[in-house]
Amino acid sequence: MKAEIETAIQEIRDAFGCALEIERDADGGAFVKALNLELGPQYEPDRSWVAFRITYQYPFADVYPHMVVPNLRRRDGKALGEAFHSENQAWEPPSGRQPAVMVSRSSKHRDPAVETAAIKLAKVLDWIRTR
Amino acid sequence: MKPITFRITAEQFSTLHAHLFPGDGDEHGAVLLAGISETERETRFLVREVLLAKDGADYVPGKFGYRMLTADFVARASHKCAQQKLCYFAVHCHGGTDSVGFSAVDLESHKRGYPALIDITNGGPVGALVFAINAVAGEIWTRHGTAALTGMTVVGLNHRRLFPEPIPRRNGCAATFDRQALIFGEIGQQHLAQAKVGIIGLGGVGSLINELVARLGVGEIVAIDYDRIESSNRSRVVDSTPWDALEWLSNSRWRWLRRLAGRWSRRKVRIAERVACKANPKVRFHALPNDVTSLQVAQQLADADFLFLCADSMQSRLVFNALVHQYLIPGIQIGSKVPVDAEGRVGNIFSVERLVLPDSGGGCLLCNQLIVASKLQEEALSPAERERQAYVKGVKAPSVITLNALGSSQAANDFLFSFLGLFNASLASAGYRMHFARERKWKAVDVESEETCLHCSGSPRSAFARGDRHSLPCKAK
Repeated sequence: MKAEIETAIQEIRDAFGCALEIERDADGGAFVKALNLELGPQYEPDRSWVAFRITYQYPFADVYPHMVVPNLRRRDGKALGEAFHSENQAWEPPSGRQPAVMVSRSSKHRDPAVETAAIKLAKVLDWIRTR
Repeated sequence: MKPITFRITAEQFSTLHAHLFPGDGDEHGAVLLAGISETERETRFLVREVLLAKDGADYVPGKFGYRMLTADFVARASHKCAQQKLCYFAVHCHGGTDSVGFSAVDLESHKRGYPALIDITNGGPVGALVFAINAVAGEIWTRHGTAALTGMTVVGLNHRRLFPEPIPRRNGCAATFDRQALIFGEIGQQHLAQAKVGIIGLGGVGSLINELVARLGVGEIVAIDYDRIESSNRSRVVDSTPWDALEWLSNSRWRWLRRLAGRWSRRKVRIAERVACKANPKVRFHALPNDVTSLQVAQQLADADFLFLCADSMQSRLVFNALVHQYLIPGIQIGSKVPVDAEGRVGNIFSVERLVLPDSGGGCLLCNQLIVASKLQEEALSPAERERQAYVKGVKAPSVITLNALGSSQAANDFLFSFLGLFNASLASAGYRMHFARERKWKAVDVESEETCLHCSGSPRSAFARGDRHSLPCKAK
């Protein structure tokens, strides 16, 4: 795994204090699954794993999309809404395929000197929680 | 023994030169902090930072010689080298113009100081440079001994080369080149023959660049492209033939025969090799049928003198931009675009030529938002992942050789003029250029720079001039 990716993973560990499942990809990047993160009371379930891939050209490459549990729904019965995609989506690390809901939030005008994978995860969680 | 050279940006050199030669005829000092690039061809030191020693405070009357750097100044500079994995080089000036060398007192001082500095800087190398107005000499110290500096390249809009003494000129050049040598002299032709040029992408644009630089007499070409020629490329790829594309197979009614053509048609780099060798039988051509995002491939460009980016992926843009700034190798990105709307209407067609100099403000592709983070991520996915995540599938982009020729001829000419220092000295900056074919207009595009850029800035995290001591944004081995 490339040093930049290892640093990014350590920053996620430090920032979120959650358990992480890490698998290497073939190019020096990593598949990262952060366990048991809070999505908000408006969702059922209200906690989920959040998985994403940090590719080998990080920090220049964006970290997206993020995947969450496949059975995610809103308690108020409304659709999950923009940027959520559930049809035919899966989290696919080398160890196997797992159905998922995709949250597709790319960063416009991203500054690689500032936006780390941890910051991006915080932004995505914040976005989910405020829907 | 392989050459040992320095590379310094024009801006840094101008600052250093003005400090060393303010017109008072006196001796002045400085320290250069440099990254390093070591290949079979050359050892290069890449100037990351110029620390000017203030007369009377940092540069004072010497105990053994005329002047010396204070212990405090040396300690601060060497500590920074140790922290940032850089190499330490003390600099001073002598009189004279075109030749320079160390005095016996200088050489004695190296013996007293440099073995310890190698340890202090975590292994060095360390050393010293001495400048005259148009010359530089150097002594490089490593744990294995000492070596003399071959020369220095000032990388800017106009390249400049300095040596310890004037380099001997060969008499006459090959008849093939005598007309162009009338423009820039035999010495210019000699520089071209010694140049190593990297071309990333040997399709419509790259194949033209390849022929142009080969015919100029560039001595060594590294061509990188994993693609094979197809019939639909032949109208744009120089010298490609129906046989190269295996058109007798690709035009078959049988799908399995068409598939064989795709698998066995000639690599674009092999066609480029044929073209370059026909144009200049003396060229040393390296055909790499691979991807520049592979670390081993990108490293083949680390000792190039100039780069051309003729591929259109974000990933290759990122690697190119990193090579330019991390190894102080100027380059040009070339492309063209024919926008077509949903109804098939052709929009404002343009060709673009972006000269990227390894300076903050030199046209860094990152600073100018030309490397899109989301595209980098998408390109790293497998085709199946890309399709599932609903990204736009690859569609054939309209393209024509005449548009490619506009950008490539401008780029090859800019390479020639920059590399041989033929631009007017008053030309302040390069910037980007776009040609709008439907308006018959070239337009200059101003470039931006970011203070914290991870490629071109001097910020502590940037890769600028760090050479081998910083990772390239490539796939791990």
